[in-house]
Amino acid sequence: MATRTVCRLLQRRYASTAAAVRPPAAEVHSQRNAVFSREQARQRALYPRIEKIEVSMQGPGLDGTMLIMNRGMSTPLSCARHLTEYHVTSSVLALVDGELWPLHQPLTHSCSLTLLTFKDNDPTLVNQAYWRSCAALLGQVLENAFKDNYTVELLSTPEVPVVSGAFCCDVALDPQLDSWSPSEESLRSLTRGAQQLIHQDLAWEPLEVAPSVALEVFSHSRYKQEEVEQKAAQNPKGTVMLYRCGDHILLSGGPLVARTGLCSQYEVTALHGLGQGPIGLQRRAQGLSLPLQLQAHHTVWRKLRQRAEKLVDVPRPEEVTPPPLSTSDQPDSQRFDTLGTTLLVSATDRPSLL
Amino acid sequence: MRLTLQMLISHGRVARKMGLGPQSRINMLRNILTGLVRHERIETTLARADEVRFYAEKLVDYAKKGDTDEKAMKMASFWLTEKDLVPKLFKVLAPRFETQSNGYTRMARIPNRQNLDRAKMAVLEYKGNPFPPLYPVKKENELTLINQLLKGYREERAQQLAAKS
Repeated sequence: MATRTVCRLLQRRYASTAAAVRPPAAEVHSQRNAVFSREQARQRALYPRIEKIEVSMQGPGLDGTMLIMNRGMSTPLSCARHLTEYHVTSSVLALVDGELWPLHQPLTHSCSLTLLTFKDNDPTLVNQAYWRSCAALLGQVLENAFKDNYTVELLSTPEVPVVSGAFCCDVALDPQLDSWSPSEESLRSLTRGAQQLIHQDLAWEPLEVAPSVALEVFSHSRYKQEEVEQKAAQNPKGTVMLYRCGDHILLSGGPLVARTGLCSQYEVTALHGLGQGPIGLQRRAQGLSLPLQLQAHHTVWRKLRQRAEKLVDVPRPEEVTPPPLSTSDQPDSQRFDTLGTTLLVSATDRPSLL
Repeated sequence: MRLTLQMLISHGRVARKMGLGPQSRINMLRNILTGLVRHERIETTLARADEVRFYAEKLVDYAKKGDTDEKAMKMASFWLTEKDLVPKLFKVLAPRFETQSNGYTRMARIPNRQNLDRAKMAVLEYKGNPFPPLYPVKKENELTLINQLLKGYREERAQQLAAKS
């Protein structure tokens, strides 16, 4: 077991050479999905007996409603299904004991539950989650849009406030595409790809995993692995959130909304070049979207769309881009070593599964 | 009496005929108006509500003159058949509409009467009453997603205009 993790570490050390012989996208997808499904099944198996929890609902017209649900099995969405169809279709996120909770994540304890919608009195948190989800959808579209012989590396998605007018998704395309600039037609085809995903009404399935699993999921992408380590270090619990939408698995900085069908108007508006980054030419894809409950008239939409074409400048309190790989060798190896020990510990915790 | 185009064309010969004659009409409208002042929201046929609306507004106009005014008191005691409502008119309704100069009432159509004669029905009310609203209240929320986007758009526009000038 230890040798295996060491091997994995070494493989990550030399990931730059491994990137040259990158396996085809379909294989990467299936591997990621397999790991995700395995971990999901493991987490579900943690509750072999059906235990009941009490969920008290909060919200207009729901005060005093008490639902008896199954521990580790019932999600906020299944609570909504006990109420009305309105609650099922319009809930975006849930608030469990004052803490944001994705709609598809199973409840683990007795709690008070509030279902959040876009038309609440203060939908700021929902709006942020929606913006983040739209950016995630854009990333998914970009990853699947190119032919197999072009690699697409999704970079960490910058958090943009809604007032800035467009959500954005940073991406590094294949070096062969450096001279390519997207035409109106290609943006339209990206939009069409997103519309297809929205039409399929896919759920964003959340899964909270230990960094070791997340590293295994992203074993083909060095950049993603570094991002996993960053996220795990920032999180006090030391875990990271993975989301699966269709067959695409992504790493998220915050909760995402329930499903893609919540978007109604969606358009990819621009793809700007950001200059050379550590892994090649960085580009920033931008888009604009509105949910089904809050649609805009086409004149209003056109104005918002024109604004969304301009490059959004991301407010960066601290340097978001990862440090260049060659210059900061020492701290990197330090971090890798500490992570190696955590890997070993987590591996010995549950020997039956690895 | 409501002046309509039809009435103008026919030289005053066409009016709503209500009750059994002019005196009966006035008595009926008095009774309805008394009910309106007592309950502040009443349900009656559309024609009667429409006729009584004019008198209901006029009565408030008189009440605004104050209860020391002779004409106002005469009008109030004529149109309110139940005399305990006279203080209500001067003490409650007149202060409520002090800031407004007209449009004290609101009328809304409701479904036709089903059990008797399928008459057109309406609801008549004085504004500012304590009942739940007749029409759904429009909610304005600055924080919704689209309003936030529009806010950003407006701010940017303002900046551009300021930079240009």
